[in-house]
Amino acid sequence: MTRSAEAGLIVAAAMLGATGVAIVEFTRGNWLDAQAAITFIVFLLAFGGLHLATRLWAGGASTLVVPTAAFLTAIGFIEVYRIDARLGALQRWSLLVAAAVGAGVLWLLRDNGVAVLRRYRYVMLAVGVAFLMLPLLPDRFPIGGATVNGSRLWVRLEIPGIERVFSFQPGEIAKVLIVVFLASYLAERAEAMAAVYRRVGPLSIPEPRNLFPVIVAAGAAFIILIYQRDLGASLLLFALFVTMLYIATERSFYVVAGAVLALAGGALAYSTFSHVQRRIEAWIDPFGDPQGAGYQTVQSLFAMGSGSLTGSGLGLGRPDLIPAAATDFIFAAIAEEMGLAGSLAVLAGFALLVTAGFGIALRSRDRFRKYLAGGLSAVLALQAFIILAGILRILPITGLTLPFMSYGGSSLVANVVIVALLLRVSHEERT
Amino acid sequence: MNHSLRSAAYVLIGSFFVLIAATIWVQAIKGPEFRDDPRNPRLVASLTGRERGPIVTADDVVVAVSEPAPDDPLLYVRSYPEGELYAHTVGYTSVLYGSRGIERTRTPDLVSNRDATISGVLNGLLGGDTRPRGVRITIDHDLQRAATEALGGQRGSVVAIDPMTGAILAMVSIPSFDPNSLIGPDAGPAGSTLEDDPNDPLRNRAIDETYPPGSAFKVITTASGLDSGTASPSTTFDDPVALELPGSTSTISNANGEVCDDGRSVTLERAFIRSCNTVFAQLGMDVGGLALANTARSFGFSSEIPFELPFLTSAFPNGAQLESDPAATAQNAIGQRDVQVTPLLMAMAAGAVANGGTMQNPFIVSEVFTSDGLVESTTEPSIWGRSMSPAAASVLADLMEQVVISGTGQRAAVPGVRTAGKTGTAEITGSAPHAWYIGFGPVAPGPDERSIAIAVIVESGGDFGESATGGIVAAPIAQRVLAQFFGVGID
Repeated sequence: MTRSAEAGLIVAAAMLGATGVAIVEFTRGNWLDAQAAITFIVFLLAFGGLHLATRLWAGGASTLVVPTAAFLTAIGFIEVYRIDARLGALQRWSLLVAAAVGAGVLWLLRDNGVAVLRRYRYVMLAVGVAFLMLPLLPDRFPIGGATVNGSRLWVRLEIPGIERVFSFQPGEIAKVLIVVFLASYLAERAEAMAAVYRRVGPLSIPEPRNLFPVIVAAGAAFIILIYQRDLGASLLLFALFVTMLYIATERSFYVVAGAVLALAGGALAYSTFSHVQRRIEAWIDPFGDPQGAGYQTVQSLFAMGSGSLTGSGLGLGRPDLIPAAATDFIFAAIAEEMGLAGSLAVLAGFALLVTAGFGIALRSRDRFRKYLAGGLSAVLALQAFIILAGILRILPITGLTLPFMSYGGSSLVANVVIVALLLRVSHEERT
Repeated sequence: MNHSLRSAAYVLIGSFFVLIAATIWVQAIKGPEFRDDPRNPRLVASLTGRERGPIVTADDVVVAVSEPAPDDPLLYVRSYPEGELYAHTVGYTSVLYGSRGIERTRTPDLVSNRDATISGVLNGLLGGDTRPRGVRITIDHDLQRAATEALGGQRGSVVAIDPMTGAILAMVSIPSFDPNSLIGPDAGPAGSTLEDDPNDPLRNRAIDETYPPGSAFKVITTASGLDSGTASPSTTFDDPVALELPGSTSTISNANGEVCDDGRSVTLERAFIRSCNTVFAQLGMDVGGLALANTARSFGFSSEIPFELPFLTSAFPNGAQLESDPAATAQNAIGQRDVQVTPLLMAMAAGAVANGGTMQNPFIVSEVFTSDGLVESTTEPSIWGRSMSPAAASVLADLMEQVVISGTGQRAAVPGVRTAGKTGTAEITGSAPHAWYIGFGPVAPGPDERSIAIAVIVESGGDFGESATGGIVAAPIAQRVLAQFFGVGID
């Protein structure tokens, strides 16, 4: 696909977003509202800007990534806008900021490429871990944690003299920093970690000191689980560690050990925390307590079932009945209003994006770039899978945003940065 | 190292195919089950929030309408501008109390069939008109209002039909209720108050309640006598103060406790005009239980009659059992003891007399029209059956006209219009008698003249209590409805 075809697809995604907004406004009785035009311009500025940045600083990059991300962002934005037009307006600002950050990343890496990131890997680890811990700061600090929906995964930033309180989810940014750190760390250590092992039965057991990273991963995940009550982030982080260790070492031992640790941790959490117990019970039998623990699941099943094949039509469903419809449960809202046709399009979009990402990783020439692109693709895939599997009752519900689609600035910025890094790695494979 | 990268890619990309399968399962396979789950709040919203087509009367008065909700333009609010007037016929559709009346029976026409099911999608794709239809009912708004006002809050019912077609022209049941009260935020308590009301305002007395017909049943007894050849208007009967019933210690006497005429003999015609029980009890026994039961059946008793709304079957005893029990035959012949009838069936009986002995199937929906106002389907009048011979109908019409001119039904007379009728005063244990009037007009209509048949019942004597008779209580109500129909002013 040529670069100009990519530009055409970006215009198409912008038109998709604008058409969706026009339809939503039409169902509210507004014929050709200015909102549609504003949406078109914002999408053109954001993804067109990213496209221009790619032409300037990553000319050889894959042309598949940006249009797919734009398509997913447009579908998600339409539904967010439909659920609450004010959230939609905020999301447009977030999109502009995210695109600027993404273009900024491409600009920063224009001369030396992603290799420069290896130099700062411990800075990134420190910042990443600090971000993860930020929400634990007390509420009274000017910068500190905030509890939303029972989970402590938000940070407020109060700037003296400014009324507005900024808040963001540092975990979203931290996940990108941690992927970069792991890719860099594993690029140096993986060979050693894979080479020194003992055979015990069918399994290859690494030297005990090489088990250290796995234990750190499990520990970090468990700390987040306990102190921030964030099951989704905890699971995401742990699965990411295990996936990257496996990619780097080619030892299925890490997958087995990871699975055992995850099950043990899950069992421990189940027996210790009442909120984990409620989640598991609501997963097994959501209709057992449809007004209580099972409420979210039951409401999203009703929504998706009511959507049926073609959906209620944009603006004609009742996504307001689904808790957290604009954020974690955006998929259920899309499934209701756009039907199976819409929800399958979303899943196909994610499959395409993840496939493109892994394609970039496979074609890269050195370890660091492979691990970086593989890790970034894995974190996208895992995050989408964990929340979607929760909505579809394959896994218990664990809160996570759906990349590119849920309402939320931090998530959008983080995922656009992932796109920018993938573009850069893709560009470097050709040069 | 590409090996593990590729395996990880396969697993993670493959996981989306698991999600795709799960989505198909939830939306397409289990979808309808979730959608139709009674706990799905969308179901409630779709019942009440969806636009429903209008219901209008024969004279274009809107009696049910959907309007966009003030706070949510996507939802519609159903309202019934005429309130209590059409509560039993048009009914309501309510989240808490379900739906009744035409709102229930015509839901497939009244709601849009645009939905996300395969058939709905196909219909939309093939260009079918998926907007809600409107329904026109046969009720005449002015007549309905006149009938309601004429009853004046007394418990009872008024039913008027077009005897030539079977179209319902008015159907009133008192006490009534405001269907709008079952829709708003206070629907819960409003509905339970109605359900607990001992006067049962939710019941449509015109079709969903039966009463002993009393002397109004003499129309049917007379038809039986005429068609069996047992009697003619000039046939004379004994005229005792009290008729002793064979095989029984009980007697039948006339309403005023006196003889019917001169104490010696009386013609059937005179007895009909004065509504003498002794003569018709004797006529019933002369005709015989079996023949009387057969005539009752041909008038729709103990028979299924198709109707839009739930229509209770009126009861008359088994003919073979009556045949061997002359006392019971005598009592049923004057509309007492076991016979039970709905007001609508009594209107249809009067209508059969007006229509040369043929009874029409009743109907209340005349047409279904599209949102563009084009008529999509109309109800064709149909014959239910023959109740009596044309000759008997002609004789009965003459007898019933005499009732209005010089008999018990004089208070139903409409100046300048030939009308016919029969009163009834049904004795019931434990309360004042029910007052009946059935009738029709005009007698011998011209080719372009419209006809009306009517039944009026006032429960337990109405405002008159123990002193009530059909002639005093029910006939004046019929008079006001007939006057409205014929456009005649009465004082």
